[in-house]
Amino acid sequence: MLLREVEYARPASVQEALRLLGEHDGARALAGGQTLINVMKARVASPDVLVDLHDLQELRGIELGADGTLDLGAMTTYADVIDSAEVRARPILAEVCAQIADVQVRNRGTIGGNVCSNDPTNHLPPLLVAIGATMTILGADGERSVPAADFFLGVYMTAAGPGELLTKISVPPGKHDGFASVPIGRDGTCIVNVAASLNGEARLAIGCVDAVPVLVKLEATDEEAIRQAVHAANLDPPADVHASADYRRHLAQVLSVRAVAQARKGS
Amino acid sequence: MDPVSRKTITVDVNGEGFEREVDARRLLIHFIRDDLDLTGSHIGCDTGNCGACSVLVDGVLVKSCMMLAIQADGARIETVEGLAQDGELNALQQSFSDHHALQCGYCTPGMLMSATALLRQNGSPSDEEIRRGIQGNICRCTGYVNIVEAIRAASE
Amino acid sequence: MTETIVTPERPLVVEEGDVKPGFIGQSVPRKEDKRLVQGEGVFFDDMKRHEMGFVHFVRSPYAHARIGSVDVSKALELDGVYGTLTGDEVAILTDPFFELSTPPGAHIKDYALAVGRVRHVGDPVAAVVARTRELARDAAELVEVDYEPLPLVLDGEEALKDKVVLHEDAGSNTVWSGVFDWGDFDAALAEADHVVRIDRLHFDRFSSTPLECAGCLVEYNRGTGQWTIHGNHQMPGVGAIWMAPALRVGIDKLRFVSQDIGGGFGNKITLHPQFTVCCLLARKLNRPVQWTEWRTDQHTANTHGNERTFLDVTVPVKADGTMLGFSVRAIDDCGAFPRYEPLGCIIWAQVTPGCYRWRSMRVDFTQVCTNKSPVAPNRGYSRMQHLWLTERIVDIVAGELGLDPIEVRKRNYVKHEEFPYETPNGCIYDSGDYARCLDIALELIGYDSLEERRRDAEARGKLFGIGIGSTLDSGTNNFGQSMILNPELQFSGNNEVATVKLDIFGEVVVTLGTVPQGQGHETTTAQVVAEILGCTPDDVNVRAGHDSYWNSTAGFSGTYASQFAVTGLGAVKGATEKLAGEMKQLAAAVFGCSPDDIELAESHARIKGNPEAALPFMALGAILNANNAGLPPELDITLNVRHVYRPPFEKPDLERKYGNLTLTYATQIHACALEVDPDTGVYEIVDYAAVDDCGKRIHPQIVEGQVHGATAQALGAATHEIFTYDEEGNLLTPNFYDYHVPHALDMPPMKNGYIESESPFTALGAKGMGEGGGAGIHAVCAALQNALGRRGEGPIVWRSCNPYQSVWELMQNPGETRKLVSVESR
Ligand SMILES: Cc1cc2nc3c(=O)[nH]c(=O)nc-3n(C[C@H](O)[C@H](O)[C@H](O)COP(=O)(O)OP(=O)(O)OC[C@H]3O[C@@H](n4cnc5c(N)ncnc54)[C@H](O)[C@@H]3O)c2cc1C
Ligand code: FES
Ligand code: FES
Repeated sequence: MLLREVEYARPASVQEALRLLGEHDGARALAGGQTLINVMKARVASPDVLVDLHDLQELRGIELGADGTLDLGAMTTYADVIDSAEVRARPILAEVCAQIADVQVRNRGTIGGNVCSNDPTNHLPPLLVAIGATMTILGADGERSVPAADFFLGVYMTAAGPGELLTKISVPPGKHDGFASVPIGRDGTCIVNVAASLNGEARLAIGCVDAVPVLVKLEATDEEAIRQAVHAANLDPPADVHASADYRRHLAQVLSVRAVAQARKGS
Repeated sequence: MDPVSRKTITVDVNGEGFEREVDARRLLIHFIRDDLDLTGSHIGCDTGNCGACSVLVDGVLVKSCMMLAIQADGARIETVEGLAQDGELNALQQSFSDHHALQCGYCTPGMLMSATALLRQNGSPSDEEIRRGIQGNICRCTGYVNIVEAIRAASE
Repeated sequence: MTETIVTPERPLVVEEGDVKPGFIGQSVPRKEDKRLVQGEGVFFDDMKRHEMGFVHFVRSPYAHARIGSVDVSKALELDGVYGTLTGDEVAILTDPFFELSTPPGAHIKDYALAVGRVRHVGDPVAAVVARTRELARDAAELVEVDYEPLPLVLDGEEALKDKVVLHEDAGSNTVWSGVFDWGDFDAALAEADHVVRIDRLHFDRFSSTPLECAGCLVEYNRGTGQWTIHGNHQMPGVGAIWMAPALRVGIDKLRFVSQDIGGGFGNKITLHPQFTVCCLLARKLNRPVQWTEWRTDQHTANTHGNERTFLDVTVPVKADGTMLGFSVRAIDDCGAFPRYEPLGCIIWAQVTPGCYRWRSMRVDFTQVCTNKSPVAPNRGYSRMQHLWLTERIVDIVAGELGLDPIEVRKRNYVKHEEFPYETPNGCIYDSGDYARCLDIALELIGYDSLEERRRDAEARGKLFGIGIGSTLDSGTNNFGQSMILNPELQFSGNNEVATVKLDIFGEVVVTLGTVPQGQGHETTTAQVVAEILGCTPDDVNVRAGHDSYWNSTAGFSGTYASQFAVTGLGAVKGATEKLAGEMKQLAAAVFGCSPDDIELAESHARIKGNPEAALPFMALGAILNANNAGLPPELDITLNVRHVYRPPFEKPDLERKYGNLTLTYATQIHACALEVDPDTGVYEIVDYAAVDDCGKRIHPQIVEGQVHGATAQALGAATHEIFTYDEEGNLLTPNFYDYHVPHALDMPPMKNGYIESESPFTALGAKGMGEGGGAGIHAVCAALQNALGRRGEGPIVWRSCNPYQSVWELMQNPGETRKLVSVESR
């Protein structure tokens, strides 16, 4: 509780938001606040200026394109995803969003915030990497697209740099996805999570084992091949109070097999 | 709008309008409890885990420690103080009492707000849905058994 | 993870005691609820005072360091800062809190702020007061403290070596040590057919973490020199005994007030250091000050439950499975300061043989300080750790000797016909029927179909296990047990107070000495009063909360140690009976008859057999209080009576460490079925039964609520709740992310059963039952052991908390833990 002093702005347009972010060195975008406010409470980070993205309609909305591509605004909340009819085109999205935290967090937390905070235990980074999402980033120099696999750079660091905004996440069509995790208790923080996608190529993305999701491409999807592939990824997971590196390495294999099994069934 | 460190905001809380100047850094829960003196909503953690501070903002269930007061400018807020009408407990409150769904009562206001949000969306939730509806609210006294029962009974 | 649909079963009341017509035994609506469900409770943090300042503590980032200097000048320069307090000032203005221990612990100097040295991360070194909460924190960040880090010790066994000593004045980390020897353990060993040895068991650190953290609002009255402390101390009587001498004032200068408290569970018993700081600040700054503890503070620097290591457990067993007792070396880690300790070094002895008829016990007990958060009497205080030992002993012995854990329990349980049963150390188990409770638990959990469920689970690739936890909740302390630790201490017996009056308009007003935190004291009190006075609970006004300036407080007043139903209601009953007697005298004087001819019923005092001759309570109240001319001068009544309940205790025999340490023993027999995922160690409790016997249940619903809550806390402690430190002494689970307490989805379906073995020793036949004995922890450990053991040579579950990783590790390398156990058969 008890934040450091901070200034607050609530721009009405993306351009204004970019200007504010560009003008103030210590400016930070505020999306759902479900990570940022916590970080500020702990005074671990203390931005000078919060640029609240709440009113930016350009960053909201879910569209299903003719080719089956889903475009999700960065400010789409988990609750929006869960409730959306369009998102059923890629069922895994709502299924995973429903596993994040609790009702209150799902009502405010946004998919953009989830990936931009890039907490290694978050649900969406590995999912979006596995399903081959594309991130649209807007900055002073204009717009660019980055594949999810290249978006995550380090703990709390992404391709959306200072002064930039993630505006949109685009998800290609597909049905054969899976997600498996071991959280603390039924619904706590993930100890390891794995997303799998078997649409065209077979891809796994493993969370909680590195600063960024670890992408593993599979040659074959039988259990032995999956275990081999994960083994070959030479994971070097962090150890913490919930899991040793060994345990995480082990879970990565088990959960990879399970995520693929779910994907095979078609989620 | 340029960044401000202090601002006068207006909110509607349980049907009553308030206008107050707040620091940008003030959390909504502190604003509600300390500035508006509506102390029914509680604080049980400093990381957004416990849900004791849950309120409805424009009809949406949120943890009011995970929002700045300044973000609620212009919003309609519902807190536990708004549940009873003219001193009459509403069905959910009565059910909590009937089923002994509270012991110390510290989690209760937040729990009631989560249950309120749940029942507005889903008039007849299953036990699993009830548990999901209150998964963001920690109770250290009751083991949730009677809370689930109370919500189920109120929905019937 | 599987999604189980959770259907809490209706509680099964297997045996109703004979419910008298009246209110005792009925689940009447709780009086507390109406305000609490409307958010109209008053918790300490809800109070405001004009011009009050907010307190923020400056806390140590080091687990052990010498304090060079504390510079508050930058903080004081900040606009809106009212003042500060440092350890140096505290050392001048106060005396150290008194220590309960004999040496070496007796020499420890514990001040309200760190003086000269910090001894755990979060140890407060200074305090800042400012106009707003945020500013107070800003200012606290500006306080410059010069630390010189010292080597640290985090492990209890390591601390025993005294390589690093926390308290120079004590010269050793040992707070207290002693040997308890009851029966004849050597003879038991000689008599045994098998001797089972367990090298090591470890009860982990956790705490019940009440949802409301600690705090207070303190006002100082310059004119009278009195402090009013609106805070959530759950044992203010004892808090005052600690604080007043430290502050160098008489005890009446400290007024403790609380209305509603958001859970305590023992974690709000040792708030005297923080409250003392607030008292000093209120006086120094001449303004009300308010301190709110935050969750991270509570986890890092308030209180934990005692952590205990059991070494060299030796259990003599007869061929038929009869166990003769045990010997053990216990090392209790109380963290940086023995704040309520070393009482934990004796409290366990209330339940020395657990539920069992064991006659020979030898316990070598040592308590040590480490550079971790201090401990407090967390729910199930000290007995829970010990009962976990007894339950682990039973299951490990059963496992090693190939005995059925159910049969072994039944063979060794104290038998129904043996009550009241005297344990080898002189405790009197009042009543109970453990075997019957176990049968009910097994029935509830469907023990007959277990093999089928095991096969079903195995077909789904899961390991299935069932476990029992049998515990006692000993209630109503004989504080004389403290003399076993330190003969100099002048504490023994126990007491609690209630005052009951009939006011001028006929209101029945009750004031309690207890400090409720959700246990429904207002309600159960009203039930007892109504039954005696012949009115309804609605007619009884029980003052909410506690105020030590009400004339209703005694030395041991408070809410702790499972005793309200005995001491609190004992006081209520005594006072109400006195009041009833006075009301009859008054009515008799009015009617000109004998008090024996008067009965109290339907809110009237009336002549028996003549309902026409009746005075409503209002008339009685008015006559005595406002219209008393002409009453006979010898009518010596006040209609405002006070009763102190004093349980029938003797001082223990200090030489033999022998005596009755508690008055009542409630029983908890729990059964847990769980399924383990062999590939991950993840497990889920799939069925759970809790059978409770707390004698007469005054308010069955409240009893049930306590059982649910205690079970949830035990399951949390068994599965995820653990306070783990890194090598630098940083707590790794300082918040509810990393310290995962049960959420609604984590709780298994729960089945409840009850029997009522009334206590022969209490006024109402009731027993204290609020703490539970941690049966859930034992049941989970046993069930895990059972599930993992099915693979043949199963691992030994040797810790109380087993998160998924621990379970996985146990499976990976069963041999590792099997080494802990050996059997010598003759
Ligand atoms: C109790 C609790 C439990 C949780 N459990 C989980 C869990 O199990 N799994 C999980 O995945 N998450 C969990 N979370 C985190 C939650 O999902 C957050 O919502 C999410 O991590 C951040 O999203 P947000 O919208 O709240 O972002 P914010 O907190 O507002 O922002 C996070 C960061 O992203 C930046 N940012 C946000 N949006 C943009 C944008 N469009 N462009 C550029 N930068 C941006 C911000 O500047 C900030 O640095 C939990 C949170 C809480 C409080
Ligand atoms: S106080 Fe808001 S979630 Fe705990
Ligand atoms: S009733 Fe005490 S925390 Fe829920």
